[in-house]
Amino acid sequence: MRPAVRVAVATLLLTTLAGLCVHYGATYDERWPHPTGDQLQDDPSQFTGQQVLLFGEVQTVRDDTIVIHVHDDADDVAAELEVTNVDKSVEPGGMVQVYGVVNPDWTMTAEKTVVVNRSDGASTYKYVVSLAGVLLAIGYFCKHWQILPQKLGFEPRTDRTERETDRPNDG
Amino acid sequence: MADLLTHVLAAYALFTVASWRFEWLTKRWVAIAMIGALLPDLNRLGLLVTDATLESMLGVPFSLDAMQTIGGVCLLAGIGAVVLTERHRQAFGVLLAGALSHLLIDGLKAYADGAAGTWLYPITWYRHPTPNLYVSSDPTVLLLTGIIAGSVFLSERDWL
Repeated sequence: MRPAVRVAVATLLLTTLAGLCVHYGATYDERWPHPTGDQLQDDPSQFTGQQVLLFGEVQTVRDDTIVIHVHDDADDVAAELEVTNVDKSVEPGGMVQVYGVVNPDWTMTAEKTVVVNRSDGASTYKYVVSLAGVLLAIGYFCKHWQILPQKLGFEPRTDRTERETDRPNDG
Repeated sequence: MADLLTHVLAAYALFTVASWRFEWLTKRWVAIAMIGALLPDLNRLGLLVTDATLESMLGVPFSLDAMQTIGGVCLLAGIGAVVLTERHRQAFGVLLAGALSHLLIDGLKAYADGAAGTWLYPITWYRHPTPNLYVSSDPTVLLLTGIIAGSVFLSERDWL
């Protein structure tokens, strides 16, 4: 495929991807069966008395009771919820999922809790390890492929015996 | 999501074992599969710029999480395939397979309501039941995957 054609195909696919992100963003709130942060921001009262799943950042911990903040798309606090019956170990700064019925005074007795990140440190661990994953994948890729700026793309490095075992050009 | 190192190591192990069966699946294609395993987490660009910022810039609803779905990874694999100068169909297939390995592993993680995320979009918004096997910050997941990937690496080095 000529470079100009590849650029055209990539542009078309990127535009389609942007369209997919728009459609997903436009329909997610109504398709997700639980309240999102944005919906809580708009009208929290419509969800009281309902069984919901909420994701929140832990603010305080006291015995089996925690206070969490649910965030909206802008990362602002959309709601504060006091959750009891939390049988898992978690610290302020951690991230949890809570599932249960929301009372009118914005408390909940959790039927089930999942601790996504036990503490702020657990989030940091995940990001550091993920960065190592990105570097490993890119490093392994660069070991076997090289960029050719004049062709606007990557080609296999040719110093190994793999070239003979690859199939003929199918592109 | 599990952490990205887990996904990359899982793709390495899976596709290296597959390469023992398929002659065309050489190390350079295993490398492509490992890149494919990164694709769904491109939604983490949201750590740099939030959906709300993008929405206010574009004037329409927008969610980067669409990239963590089947539809999103199909398009991302297509874009990745044309970044290579040749063998685009093969690259598309391997990138997509790597990305699907990521989505399948994510499909096993814990949700408090017992149903997985909406990764089948845009085919369906159905959330399948999840076995709640792990949470993403659990080091056990990485340890287990690391042992498997290490065993595959040693097997390949010693036997092939």
